[in-house]
Amino acid sequence: MSVVNATSPPVRSFINLLIGTIQRIPAVVWFEWRRAFTFSRMAWMLALMAFPPGLLLMVRTAARDAPRDEVISILIFILSACVVCMMSVFLWATPALSSELEGRSWVYLAVRPYGPISVLIGKFIVSVSWAIPVGVVSATLSVLVFSTQSPAHLIAVQCGLVVLSCLAYSALFLLIGVIAPKKCMVAGIIYTIVFEVAFALIPAAVNLLTVQHRLRCLLVRWMDFDKVIANRNPVFLSYFGDESSWWHVGVLLGMTLAYLVAAGVILRYREFTAAIETVT
Amino acid sequence: MLLELTNVTRLYGTVIGVNDITLSLASGAHGLLGPNGAGKTTLLNLITGQLSPTIGSVRVLGMPSRSNPNLLRRLGYLPSTEGMYADVSAIEWVTYLTRLQGFNSHEAKQLALQALDRVDLTDQMHRNISTFSRGMRQRTRLAQAIAHEPELLILDEPFSGLDPIARYSMTKLLEGWISEGRSLIIASHVLHEIESLTRSFLLLGSGRLMASGSTNDMNELLAELPSEVRIRVNKPRELAAELLRGGLANAVKLIGDDEVSVSTALSAQLGRFLSKAVTEGEYFVSEVHAVDDSLQNVFNSLMKIHRGSL
Repeated sequence: MSVVNATSPPVRSFINLLIGTIQRIPAVVWFEWRRAFTFSRMAWMLALMAFPPGLLLMVRTAARDAPRDEVISILIFILSACVVCMMSVFLWATPALSSELEGRSWVYLAVRPYGPISVLIGKFIVSVSWAIPVGVVSATLSVLVFSTQSPAHLIAVQCGLVVLSCLAYSALFLLIGVIAPKKCMVAGIIYTIVFEVAFALIPAAVNLLTVQHRLRCLLVRWMDFDKVIANRNPVFLSYFGDESSWWHVGVLLGMTLAYLVAAGVILRYREFTAAIETVT
Repeated sequence: MLLELTNVTRLYGTVIGVNDITLSLASGAHGLLGPNGAGKTTLLNLITGQLSPTIGSVRVLGMPSRSNPNLLRRLGYLPSTEGMYADVSAIEWVTYLTRLQGFNSHEAKQLALQALDRVDLTDQMHRNISTFSRGMRQRTRLAQAIAHEPELLILDEPFSGLDPIARYSMTKLLEGWISEGRSLIIASHVLHEIESLTRSFLLLGSGRLMASGSTNDMNELLAELPSEVRIRVNKPRELAAELLRGGLANAVKLIGDDEVSVSTALSAQLGRFLSKAVTEGEYFVSEVHAVDDSLQNVFNSLMKIHRGSL
């Protein structure tokens, strides 16, 4: 019986590559962060941040009676954890690779031993680190627009959903960008509409694969809607299931990791060279 | 061995990028020559491991080239496309890329400073790249390729778009690199750009390796190729008749009273004949020049030979 030596050359080589890649990630994050501070980007992020509280302020002003806390929670969830987070990571993560390919800067990164994967993870971190503050501020301001019974709890729930939403969607859009770099924005929009909007509403196995379904389940669990609204009836259970919140958190983090690993594997083995010569 | 290609073919769908190339190169400087679309960039992409061959194998510095981090640590590459971030300074960009090469931040900064000094950009290195001239951008691109002191430097059209002064300084820099005993592969579609840097050439055309060898080999090859030569001479009719009689010309055409256009497959013998005739005072020749001495025409002739039409 042969035993694979843990320090055999391929294993050692892989471990060295992994360590080297992790060590390079801060350099990518720092570099991309510095490049990201542009007026247009800041303006866009501020606009995204202000959108949910602004809209909710108008709703509050227009409505004769204050909406119920459950309705407020759902509204804030849709606007912050879904729309704002999805939009901001979509604009950051989806074109992460295509912008390098179109700008012809990819070749400089591709010929570095620690280039492609550390750039991928670095851009993921930058995307998330920009989107989370935007989502958190947006959700917090939205909660403060209404006088709910327990604002601290609602803020904590919404911020938790924002963080998980940013992580999962950023990894997902990064993967879409790596799979279809030439049409990444179109592919991202189509995927979002088909899977995250339409399929996520269908109470079948397919919605279990969507980020949106997991976030909704978490909202229901963390806000105790299952006790307040549904009283655990069969229809409610068929849609939201009876898994614990930790299960859904674990699934979302697992999805994030799986998307990143898939994107890394594709990046490692696929040929992205832009210079295709046409020879007759 | 610096480079070993064995029956390498690369297809893009039904389009051939490179076609059945087999070659071995020892350490040193080598020129890769070919007209636009000859397959030079595809070959360099295969060497740098960005592409894998459809058929055959590529080994660089004794290692397989495709996605090989151990090889990439020892390579420096200057691609033909610019692709630089406009919103960062030269020092930031070169330091960043050197960090990705595997150095810590302090080492990367030092190496970037040295490389930028080597390309004479120290004074301008804190300026945004977007404000650089074409020559400065090219020097910055060269700095990122040499910053980590690679064993093998690969340059794709490094002289493209440079003015004569920038070309001269780039040539001097590369001469210095070669004189340090490092290896270099330089691709160009202009022969004279790289003939001062290397005596070893590879001629690529339509994805095929047409010829390879030293400058002398190339000169002999070029001399044997069919070409058109114009000679300004005092007795053009007599010269034309003598060349036809002696089999040195396939066809002749008189142009005015003092010029003859000669189509020949024996350029070297024609040169020797003219030299002897002038020395002996038989003819007074005031000008000799090849009409189609561009590299493109040389490759066209080589292609015809490959296809058997010459």
